[in-house]
Amino acid sequence: MKEVKYTIIDPVGFHARPAGAVAKALKAFDAKVTVFKGEKSADMTKLLKVMGLGIKQGDEITVQIDGAAEAECAAALDAFMKENNLI
Amino acid sequence: MALDYRKCAQEIVDHIGGRENVAQAAHCATRLRLVIKDNSKVDKDYLDNVDGVKGMFESNGQLQLIIGTGTVNKVYDEFLSITGMSAATKDDVKAAAAAKQPLWKQLLKPIGDVFVPILPAIVASGLMMGLVEALAKAIPSFASSDWFGYLDMIANTAFAYLPVIVAVSAARVFGGNIFLGAVIGLMMIHSALTNGWAAAGGYEVWYLFGNGIKIGNYTLGQINKLGYQGHVIPVIIAIWIMCKIEKKLHSIVPEMLDLFVVPITTVFLTATLTFMIIGPIFSGLETLVLNGAKVLVTNPLGACVMGAIYPATVVMGLHHMYNVIESGMLASADFGNLNIWMPIASSANFAQFGACLAVGLKCRNAKTKQVAIPSSMSAALGITEPAIFGVNMRFFKPFVAGMIGGAVGSIFGAFTGLGASSYGVTGIPGYLTINNPVLYTIMLAIAGGIAFAITWVVWKEEEKKPAAKAPAAADVKAPTNAIIRCGAGEIIQPVAGSMIRQENIPDDTFASGVLGGGCAIAPENGVVFAPFDGTISSVADSKHAIGITGPGDMEVLIHVGVDTVSMNGDGFEDFVKEGDEVKAGQKIMEFDREKIKAAGHPDCVVVLLTNSDDFDDVSIQDS
Repeated sequence: MKEVKYTIIDPVGFHARPAGAVAKALKAFDAKVTVFKGEKSADMTKLLKVMGLGIKQGDEITVQIDGAAEAECAAALDAFMKENNLI
Repeated sequence: MALDYRKCAQEIVDHIGGRENVAQAAHCATRLRLVIKDNSKVDKDYLDNVDGVKGMFESNGQLQLIIGTGTVNKVYDEFLSITGMSAATKDDVKAAAAAKQPLWKQLLKPIGDVFVPILPAIVASGLMMGLVEALAKAIPSFASSDWFGYLDMIANTAFAYLPVIVAVSAARVFGGNIFLGAVIGLMMIHSALTNGWAAAGGYEVWYLFGNGIKIGNYTLGQINKLGYQGHVIPVIIAIWIMCKIEKKLHSIVPEMLDLFVVPITTVFLTATLTFMIIGPIFSGLETLVLNGAKVLVTNPLGACVMGAIYPATVVMGLHHMYNVIESGMLASADFGNLNIWMPIASSANFAQFGACLAVGLKCRNAKTKQVAIPSSMSAALGITEPAIFGVNMRFFKPFVAGMIGGAVGSIFGAFTGLGASSYGVTGIPGYLTINNPVLYTIMLAIAGGIAFAITWVVWKEEEKKPAAKAPAAADVKAPTNAIIRCGAGEIIQPVAGSMIRQENIPDDTFASGVLGGGCAIAPENGVVFAPFDGTISSVADSKHAIGITGPGDMEVLIHVGVDTVSMNGDGFEDFVKEGDEVKAGQKIMEFDREKIKAAGHPDCVVVLLTNSDDFDDVSIQDS
């Protein structure tokens, strides 16, 4: 299992558009991705659940990736977050 | 950044009531021209603010959106592609729009179109003429001075040569060559013809076909050597004919011969028709009016009728010979050497002043005010053409109010025996010639006052239709039609409005399907309902988006507006929170369309089945 921490810097937080794009991208990998914000967590491939976390600018989130393709998945996630100026 | 043509076109389509509400669409060099079936469905305020739309206005039944050279054609192409319409030419659109107006409006409209552009010339002229000639009557020494001669010339030029100004303007309106129009106009007041104002003194006649065939007083081929000074309607008709002839000739004459053949043929044919037919008809009418007027004016009831129709005769240009009546009265012992025609004319003119003033004071449109106020002043001084043609007739109700005011004033004048000691002045300058200033004041007050009051009460400015007021949120009912269907169930439309196909959503992320399959709704109001029985899975902090999980694990995102997350909740109110159970049709959110617009965002409500990949046969219903 891999675990990564991110601090979101996007002024509107981790909102619908990036959340949706990430969800779709992550679905392609054979891995389970869970995002934690404080006590709450959500399956990162489920857009609505992620949005329910209400991740805002300045929030620190922890992402756990578990599965056969966890390495590629983590790399893809990392690239995505940087490209979209989320972190 | 270049304009997103598709987004612009889409926003336009969404806020004009959709494809179904468009009868025709065309474009010119800078504007998109749409003929709309039901104007109440057009959201004008929104359209004004659409990116790419620089301005918009309604004219002649067309909705015109100014987009700009080079861009409008691209937006138009997208517009056609979105609506599936085929291209129409500008003329098709104009014809479609014109055909929508009632007939009397269709006839009055050209007169307004011809007169409005030339108003600056005739208002200035009218005011100055009124002043100069009033001074001349009041101060006889002034009347014979050089100053008077000079000022009078400056002042009356526009009126003396009005037919030319009208002809040029009309040629432009009717799409003919304006210089040919000028030629016709000049011809109609050619110095070889007796001046129209002097008609009473007699004029010569050309007999083109000899003295052979007569119809009553009229010989076939007779051309009266009489100019059209002061005439308006015959000029407009003549130019209208000229333009029709010109267009027809252009279409049948080969290009090589066009310059030789078309202008001279056009001018000759127009002149002949004008002098042979239009002229005689109108001078025939004038004589009729003259004789009728003489009879009418001898009793108060007749005076009343005359006072009412007086402005109509001005419109028709039949009022020239009234001087004849007036001088006849002054010379006749039967009338006690008193001009009792003048009070009638004064009432009628002062009533037009009253009506026009009411328009000028009541209206809010700056342009209308700028025209109406000076025109009304001019009418008060007795020169009514600007007020009649520039304001009252265009809006019609004020004109009728003027007729009523004129009628009542005339009765008063007749009963009180008002009369003038000379002729040629009406309105305020009439004080110089009237036999009873006090009664005259009362008469003017009656005429002007009644016209003013009626106009004030009855005339309403055509307002830009306010954006259709959203019904009170409490009264809004939930829609009941499904917009998305899949193996697991139905997703009902969450907000009233017309559907926007996914590929046309003005946001790449939503449109691309990366967040799931679905569509958007162009909202008619600001109330969102639950699309099925389910559980609220998320409510955005910025309140503009709600996620609901429904039967069969359908996960639906309802996202109000594009980029509305940046509004931070201002304008949104949620009635549910995460974890709430909801029933289909239950109100879950209200949003303020105006605030979204003000913030510069599209207000379409995006509805996406975010996990559409998990389902079989997901189908989006066509609007």
